[in-house]
Amino acid sequence: MTKGSDPLRATVRNHIRSLRFAASEMTQQDLANRIGVSRQTLNAIEGEKYSPSLEVAFRIARVFGKPLEEVFTCQFEAAPPRKRPK
Amino acid sequence: MLPSFEEKSVWVQLIGLVVVFAGYFGISGVMLANGVTEMAPYVSLFAVAIVLLVVVQIVGHIAAAVIGKPEPRDERDRLIGWRAESNSSWLLATGVFAAITGLLFEFEPVWISHVLLASLFASEALKLVLQIVYYRRGV
Repeated sequence: MTKGSDPLRATVRNHIRSLRFAASEMTQQDLANRIGVSRQTLNAIEGEKYSPSLEVAFRIARVFGKPLEEVFTCQFEAAPPRKRPK
Repeated sequence: MLPSFEEKSVWVQLIGLVVVFAGYFGISGVMLANGVTEMAPYVSLFAVAIVLLVVVQIVGHIAAAVIGKPEPRDERDRLIGWRAESNSSWLLATGVFAAITGLLFEFEPVWISHVLLASLFASEALKLVLQIVYYRRGV
């Protein structure tokens, strides 16, 4: 990163909900059990309130038999400029 | 969505801590106001508070386990715990600094110990509140 530049803000999105429904309407609890997290954590991931570790992200992709980028996407946008001291 | 076992556990810890230590600081505050400066009565009171806290925690966790099946902590629980700890430890550090300052000015031990205890309580309570906020709002 160039010194003084503002980093891009990354927003991680996912298609887990639609993939679950496509996979014989798999429940959150089923998927949570298969990837080793609680149902509440999976719900937070689906609701984009929590970005999972790479390990959990790969486990989710593996359950659906999809590459990672078909389950998770990342959108970059410019962060609002920081206030600089006068 | 029902909270996870970990989140229920945080609620149990917070309620137990606030109820028991509100009682402790209420009683010890009255004692301090009445000029009791010997440590022995406070130590007995503190011992009772700790026993009560343990009892409340055990009963609360049994109730939480009956309501929903206990699950092991996962990566989100750990992250929330670390982040809450990191954002609340300054309170304990402030209390330690205040206690050291009190020692330099030769305050009585009863005041020094209560400054330390209050900062420990406040730091722990803030950590638990932050954990609940992170569970609800997201991390």
